[in-house]
Amino acid sequence: MDFGFSVENEAFRAEVRAFITDNVSPEIVQEMKDGARGAGIGPLTRQLILKIGERGWIGMSWPKEYGGREADIIDQYIFEEELARARVPLNLGNFIEQAPAIMKAGTEAQKKYFLPRLVKGEVTFALGYSEPSGGTDLASLKTRAVEEGDGYVINGQKVFTTRAESSSHIYLMARTDPDAPKHKGISIFLVPMDTPGITVRPLWTLPGGRTNEVFLEDVRVPKDAMLGEKNGGWNIGASALNLGRAGARRYCIYVSPFEDLLKYLQTDDLGREIAKDPVTQDKVAKLYCEAQVARLFTMRSLSMVRRGQNPPYEISSEKIWGPEFQVRTTEAASQILGAYHQLWDGAGAPDDGNFPRQYVNAMVSTFGHGSTQVMRTAIARRGLDLPRE
Amino acid sequence: MDVLLNDDEEMIRDGVRRFFTAECDTDRVRAIEDDEARTDPELWRQLAELGWLGLALPSIYGGSEVPFTQLTLLFEEAGRALAPVPLHPHMVAALTLAEAVQRDDCGTLAESLLSDACLGESLLTWAWNERLPNMGPEVVTLGAVADGNGWRLQGSKQMVEAFEIADYCLVAARTDASQTGDGGITLLLVEPGAVGISSNAQRTLAGDRQSEVRFDNVYVDGDALVGRVDAGWALARPMLERAMVLNCAMIVGATRRAAERAFDYARERVAFGHPIGSFQAIQHTCADMITWVDGAELLTREAAWHIAQGMDAALAAAAAKSFTNERCQMVLREANQIHGGYAQVYEFDQQLWYRRAAAWSMRLGTSAEHRRTVARALDLP
Repeated sequence: MDFGFSVENEAFRAEVRAFITDNVSPEIVQEMKDGARGAGIGPLTRQLILKIGERGWIGMSWPKEYGGREADIIDQYIFEEELARARVPLNLGNFIEQAPAIMKAGTEAQKKYFLPRLVKGEVTFALGYSEPSGGTDLASLKTRAVEEGDGYVINGQKVFTTRAESSSHIYLMARTDPDAPKHKGISIFLVPMDTPGITVRPLWTLPGGRTNEVFLEDVRVPKDAMLGEKNGGWNIGASALNLGRAGARRYCIYVSPFEDLLKYLQTDDLGREIAKDPVTQDKVAKLYCEAQVARLFTMRSLSMVRRGQNPPYEISSEKIWGPEFQVRTTEAASQILGAYHQLWDGAGAPDDGNFPRQYVNAMVSTFGHGSTQVMRTAIARRGLDLPRE
Repeated sequence: MDVLLNDDEEMIRDGVRRFFTAECDTDRVRAIEDDEARTDPELWRQLAELGWLGLALPSIYGGSEVPFTQLTLLFEEAGRALAPVPLHPHMVAALTLAEAVQRDDCGTLAESLLSDACLGESLLTWAWNERLPNMGPEVVTLGAVADGNGWRLQGSKQMVEAFEIADYCLVAARTDASQTGDGGITLLLVEPGAVGISSNAQRTLAGDRQSEVRFDNVYVDGDALVGRVDAGWALARPMLERAMVLNCAMIVGATRRAAERAFDYARERVAFGHPIGSFQAIQHTCADMITWVDGAELLTREAAWHIAQGMDAALAAAAAKSFTNERCQMVLREANQIHGGYAQVYEFDQQLWYRRAAAWSMRLGTSAEHRRTVARALDLP
């Protein structure tokens, strides 16, 4: 057991911090925040992504032939952690989920097309999984892709398709065999968002951001838009989804409300006064301990992935503990800061109105990317080998 | 960075687990509760023969000098097996003597005991607790007044483990009565049979051996000094941190086993025509149990790693102890709930893990106290 980072890892961390200091201006952060609230990826953010890509930091643990530099996966963790620590709201989910899936299941032509463009930020994917009739029970999805001529015609509807309005592509799960058992008739398609027949409608969310409904009406795609084998999409998707639940990016989302609360109590005049209460101190100390567990779960998943293992239940634990900790934190913060906690903006709002946003954000974590109930069932069955009904 | 066990660590963990599985069944665990000494001398002899009593002690005294992280694995396994031996107090005292000797900071007695401690020929224990349930330096009030080359002790200690059967007890005393905090504390080695000492066995939840010990004008020679006079906190603080981490390891080991027993039971027990483990209410409880005990294990191992690296472990140990205390009790409670009525039955084994792991979580300070340590480290006002 080694809980420390090597000299090389720490040197890399220093390099990333220096880069952030030099390149991430308040204007860029504001643009990224606006982007998350529906404005899309702005020009400054695109420049930043390109600069990060030039450094070789996107997909840095990938094979060299696909634009990576075969770096230690720990360096990738450090990069994501530092970016999140600096509160750079850059979504790198594609590089953790979709890119590895393409690397694993894609044809040579797909790899050559998508991977270098992902690295450069020219291609970004929205995740076309959930549908109005089922998200948690993903395998019962109804969107149909029917083979016709030299391609497929897709009809159906997706929901909670975050960043559909700004992504170049949708990573789409659709049913290609309606007669097969539900997990066995699903395929994945990589579809440009500008394909005729795709309509995006915004769904505005409590944290002040946007997700979408995506309507697919006679969307025609060529056969080579399919990723992996026909009807083999479930396994590609499930494995990417599992790994996508791990990593520094998510851990930082879970613990950032605690870090913000702690910083406020340590540094703000009013915060320091509030923090004198021993009951508050006890609560904050308890949350600190729980935050360490979130961090350690991420380090454990990373250690397993680095050893070439696909963790059978550990990532699900991480995906329960982290979001529920995030919720406990924001609820505790709301009772520590009292009425100040509800202030959305304005002069009296602590931390620029960050707290009520964190509060509603936390809710999203417990169902986003797999609900905590599904995670618990997965632990019981895959990790503990408990019987099915 | 790799928080999983490496090859050496897996070898130690597996070897110790094989030994306890073969040698330490629940009959053996139960037997000591009816026994006056409340320990299994044969098992102790076996541990000594295997060299595990000296696992983390310096090689010049016959120890194996493994990192503290590996010692923690021995304690996880001893906890898992509910090994009915005073491994914890012995190791806490022995490691402190070794540290004092290494700092060249003690009388001659400490060094002379280390070889025998490695071999199991001397049993060591320690006495810290007094009236308050806390673990900080403020609890130490046992008076030690200078007398010639030594001291005279007056006062009492509570919940001292294996006191009557130990050869020496490392006692924390107040040599400067004008101080109440971390100054003015001195660590001294005392023979349990010394003139002026009396003790009463205390019946405990775990059924282990603990005593209230009274000191009435007990003479301790200057030779028995461990560390520096009035500056005992310098040794006591790391001693308490090691004690906390090893205690957490035992709780984690025992709690994991209690949880695994509950998972096994859930797979087999049939109700309403199905194994209860197929019901989501039980499955989700089990998912929480493994998540919580894993969290306690990782915090404990990280604290052990801090100690092994020679880093400041105060925050990590306090975080591990307060979390482990509370979450492992929650796991034990759920394990009992899955067993239903059998959990309360004496002849059913589940209670053995429950009583011990719960009792261990009540020792070495309170969770609230450890969270005060955390709050201080976080620079809260």
